[in-house]
Amino acid sequence: MTTTFENLKAGDTIDGPTFAVSRESIRLFCDASLDYNPLHLDDDYMKGSFGKTSFGGIIMHGMNNFGLISRMITDWAYPAGAIHRRLETRWVKPVKPGDTIQPMGVVKSKQETAKSRWVLIDVLVRNQEGDKVATGEAMVEFP
Amino acid sequence: MGQAQAFETDFWKDANLRKMWDDIVPGAPRKTLSYVLTQEAIALYCKSVGETHPIYFDEAYARTTRYGGLIAPPSIHILLMFSCTPADDWMRSPGTVNAGQSWSYNIPARPNDTITLQARALDKFIKRERLFVVHDNVFFNQRGEVICSGRGWTIRPQ
Repeated sequence: MTTTFENLKAGDTIDGPTFAVSRESIRLFCDASLDYNPLHLDDDYMKGSFGKTSFGGIIMHGMNNFGLISRMITDWAYPAGAIHRRLETRWVKPVKPGDTIQPMGVVKSKQETAKSRWVLIDVLVRNQEGDKVATGEAMVEFP
Repeated sequence: MGQAQAFETDFWKDANLRKMWDDIVPGAPRKTLSYVLTQEAIALYCKSVGETHPIYFDEAYARTTRYGGLIAPPSIHILLMFSCTPADDWMRSPGTVNAGQSWSYNIPARPNDTITLQARALDKFIKRERLFVVHDNVFFNQRGEVICSGRGWTIRPQ
């Protein structure tokens, strides 16, 4: 069924793509984003601690989660003629090489404003253990 | 505003030039660079997150859409944040940990757009012994149109 503003309801889910995280995928994201922070490159550096946090090895860019969530939202919105207008995310757990992550969305509510119609979506990313690694909210504008 | 130089991928190289948490003044503008967004850069970004939608790759298809041509994915600001800032920008400080971001999208960036950035630290605070800075950013195209705007929360290295 084609997604429309009318037929969407709270609790509807959006399945995002699975993404296998590897040293190579992280390096590719470095090259694509120009973010060469040693957090994502240097295992020796990552044996240290960062203030109150210790990671034990390189971690995936938090913004790689963001890009996957955004990909899920746009791939869902484009066929409906809708526009991805906002995404807010928080990172709750580091993602490491060997993890497989998958974003998903749950429609939270719909709202009409003076000039448009909006769908609010809770988003999250889980790893292969089912742990949440990122959470957030998205806004999509519908025709 | 300067022009982009060859990108330095060794983030340690200019580390001593970058502001630490204590030096960052909320409200003070960051230095920024203009950047020409190429189709190749868009394609590489798409590859890194598995984007395959034809609106990013297929000119003939893209012409039939509301956008009338190829666009970049909304999240291309992830690349623009580094391409529009110089090597001494504190966002490159090794050990900078991203805690979260929020972005609003107005119009898409397109291949061959000349992108500019207005950016500043907006706030800084200490929470659970961690040093946070909030940064805010607005990206524009060559016509002065807002592409997107966003805020990020980072934990600064000590």
